[in-house]
Amino acid sequence: MVSLLRQQKIRNILLQALFAGIVLLVVIGGWRNAQHALSSQNVVSGFGFLHKSTGWDVNFSLLPASPNDPYWWFFVIGIVNTLFLGILGLTLATFIGGLVGLFRTSSNDLLQLLGRIYVDFFRNIPLILQVFFWYSLVTNLPAPRNAMEFGPLTLSNRGVYMPALNVGGWHVAGAAVTLLLALALPLWLRTTRRLASPPEQRGALVWGVLGGGLLLAAAILLLGRAPGAALIDPPRLQGLNMRGGLRVSPEFTALLVAIGIYGGAYIGEIVRGGFKAVGKGQTEAAHSLGLSPWQSFSRIRLPLALRAMLPILANQYIWLIKATTLGIAVGFTDFFMIVAVTINQSGQTLEAIAILMVGFLAINLSIAAIFNRINRAIALKGNQLRS
Amino acid sequence: MNTLANSAAVAPPGRVRMLRKRYFPTPLQGVVSVVSAGLLLLISWKLLDWAFLSAVFGAEGSAAECRAAGGACWSVIANRWRIIFFGLYPHAEQWRSALACVAVVAMIVLSCVPSFWRPWRLAAVWIIGTAVYYILMKGGILGLRYVGEEQWGGLALTLFIFVATCLIGFPLSIVLALLRRSELPVISRGTGLLIDAVRSLPLLAILFAFAVVVPFMLPGWMQTGKLYRVVFGAGLFFAAYQAEIIRGGLQGVPRGQEEAAMALGIGYWHRVGKILLPQAMRNALPATINQFVIGFKETSLVIVVGFFEILASGNAAYGTGEWTFAYREVYAFIALIYFVFTYSLSRYGAYLERRMAISSR
Amino acid sequence: MADTHPANVPAVQINGMNKFYGHFHALKNIQLTVHRGEKVVVCGPSGSGKSTMIRCINRLEEHNSGQITVLGTELNDDVASIDGIRREVGMVFQHFNLFPHMTVLENCVLAPMLVRKTPRAQAEAAAMRYLEKVRIPEQAQKYPGQLSGGQQQRVAIARSLCMEPEILLFDEPTSALDPEMISEVLDVMVHLATEGRTMICVTHEMGFARRVADRVIFMDAGEIVEEAPPETFFQSPSSERTKQFLSQVLGH
Repeated sequence: MVSLLRQQKIRNILLQALFAGIVLLVVIGGWRNAQHALSSQNVVSGFGFLHKSTGWDVNFSLLPASPNDPYWWFFVIGIVNTLFLGILGLTLATFIGGLVGLFRTSSNDLLQLLGRIYVDFFRNIPLILQVFFWYSLVTNLPAPRNAMEFGPLTLSNRGVYMPALNVGGWHVAGAAVTLLLALALPLWLRTTRRLASPPEQRGALVWGVLGGGLLLAAAILLLGRAPGAALIDPPRLQGLNMRGGLRVSPEFTALLVAIGIYGGAYIGEIVRGGFKAVGKGQTEAAHSLGLSPWQSFSRIRLPLALRAMLPILANQYIWLIKATTLGIAVGFTDFFMIVAVTINQSGQTLEAIAILMVGFLAINLSIAAIFNRINRAIALKGNQLRS
Repeated sequence: MNTLANSAAVAPPGRVRMLRKRYFPTPLQGVVSVVSAGLLLLISWKLLDWAFLSAVFGAEGSAAECRAAGGACWSVIANRWRIIFFGLYPHAEQWRSALACVAVVAMIVLSCVPSFWRPWRLAAVWIIGTAVYYILMKGGILGLRYVGEEQWGGLALTLFIFVATCLIGFPLSIVLALLRRSELPVISRGTGLLIDAVRSLPLLAILFAFAVVVPFMLPGWMQTGKLYRVVFGAGLFFAAYQAEIIRGGLQGVPRGQEEAAMALGIGYWHRVGKILLPQAMRNALPATINQFVIGFKETSLVIVVGFFEILASGNAAYGTGEWTFAYREVYAFIALIYFVFTYSLSRYGAYLERRMAISSR
Repeated sequence: MADTHPANVPAVQINGMNKFYGHFHALKNIQLTVHRGEKVVVCGPSGSGKSTMIRCINRLEEHNSGQITVLGTELNDDVASIDGIRREVGMVFQHFNLFPHMTVLENCVLAPMLVRKTPRAQAEAAAMRYLEKVRIPEQAQKYPGQLSGGQQQRVAIARSLCMEPEILLFDEPTSALDPEMISEVLDVMVHLATEGRTMICVTHEMGFARRVADRVIFMDAGEIVEEAPPETFFQSPSSERTKQFLSQVLGH
């Protein structure tokens, strides 16, 4: 027996069996305990509850929602809310981060200092504290009667109001998609090599697609316009409250601002790192070839820096999407808050946690997949640039 | 001597030219410099004015006085600092809470001193520091009055959560990293799956699961207080991230190091403990310190599962009575506390990174 | 040490050994006996399996079939026999593989203290003796990164000597060195060869082979092609492949 244990292969098999056994024991034991505990609380396990109506409401939804809707629909709403907040937050963070990163890599010390203060300040304070701060700031704004006018925005303790379009929801979505395509397609046309004509000769096509897309988006908006109303619907005071316009709730405003500012500080550092990773030799070569500073930036440094920062950026994006779960701290109904309330209300603990895990896994994997695709598409071929 | 006098003589025009070259090389750059300088001055002035010049200090300042002054109302801190630092800890015993915080800070500072970077010394510092904290806070022995965990709060609780997270997470991260690089496929894949699953979830979801779901899954004899479960969840999350950092450090150790140790007949545990981990930890040091910084900031999330840590006690400090308008001051104060911890840690990390860049050729 | 293994047992005996990397047949039916005290030089073109073969002797690589017997102990799946063999077989690597976080002296005393449980004072005295033998006792308190390549390789030799191994394996010990440092390492190795230890050296230094080797082995494509005393090997090699290799190595 002892000599058997000295055999490496047998030892390896035993070790792995032991490992698998412990894992299985923990999982099965935990599962059985939970089943037992929950059934003693009269919770029927299984996913049948998804078809029951919830009996509670959400405070924010892009999709129609009412307490009579079933749980599965609420989970969909939660995912859509998380993605909506996440994508807007990422866009804002990327914009701020790009700017801060450029500040920090600038040749001007004062600009560098500004960037550095920004990053050091916002990165070293917990995100949830910043969410609370912005939330308190918005809810401590004056009441609608004394609301602050800020250009087209109206700031009050009921949220931020902005002029809205008197257009049906589906038409707005359609116009937004058309607009995105009108901007993205020309970019693709400028660079792709899949078409027969060389990219330089597609000027007319590019401008045509851009113009046509913009016109189409405008047409969709006009078509969806509510009959007999002005196209633009500005917010206005009526009694003690605001009427018309688009209200962005204090919860959403606080989360969006906090995620954008905090994420911007991190992304700024990633951008800086990306530019730092571009070898000095590349810049010197570009200058010695007679490229102007702008040309050497846009044709040499930026493309190389983008390649260096993409993998880290993907991780940061996943992190920021996960940060939307802070919605629960101020009461924004993101995916996690829906799950938490579900557990509270229905007791379907294990099922709801499983849905949460699957949902975040799906979101993370999608982001990773998108970035892998981009990465592969723009990766430098061969290894001539390793040094 | 001569050259020195020379350079001094030409210094003024040289300096002016240098300044001009630095900030006004082109008209556009000049505008950028002026705008940035203006912005910097404006921010500094506004901050100075708000925080000091127009501010009301001292415990006597009343809410009405504050509103009139227009600046920061530090009176709220002067009146409510005890709740921010110690939460609901019994008033007469708060000196214990303060001493416990000092013990933890001393422990963290000691572990930043390179001469303590031996496994046994670090372990000793952390175990002693945590024990001192625990005895002081909980009491029940040495003539100290018993104070249950549900009464812990404020900065003291935040520090406890951080320390306990590290104490659980750091050793666990080493174990996970070693398991993940095991040659046995079941072990390495299984560990990899666990690490990736934990990393793909938001920390809040994990804290929530450990607070609410795990009690259902544990057998009766393993039921513990909610605080310990949540801290374990935070430790697991920390470990999953830190394990990947250590794995990266291990990958940076050349394969030949382990082979040389094997050829000398050195066994697995000594290979890992004396050859691989010391080098891997050195490679991973900057990222590790960054992870500690993140870990410290993330302690604030436990507010969501109902703990009275520094942020929650801050909310309570301004949330009641006459101080409801003073949220800015309270948040600024708490932000300052976080900033002091995280900024000094990350500066320390940057210093280590520079030092290592010089010493490794 | 010498008492534990009777003198008539060969130092290394390899019998019909095969090694695969996936489908690649890296070592083909290796047959080799090295007697105690013998100095063997293994040469051959790169990728011929020389390094793989000697790395099988102390189980840095696992062989797939056949037998390897070291000092009478068969290398098999038994953990204890692997440990025992590694204690008796020292190895010097192409890239030195010194432990960069320890001083030269610590590098030398580590294994004796951990594996043989030698007390520190005794281990340090032995280490200083071996560092003198490789002619760098004055570097004992420095870190490997502060030494030149040749010095590092001499420390590596001293480090393996500290375990007082019966057999020393050299895996291309001079290939990673700048030309002017090769001779200082070879000098140490020549000196070692006079001490009666079994040595198996993978090297391209034909001068060293001529001076020191009792036998030269030529490998190509995973096989032992030729095996002869140095005079015969260099004067009248029997195989065409050996002749071609020698003309490439010695040709200029």
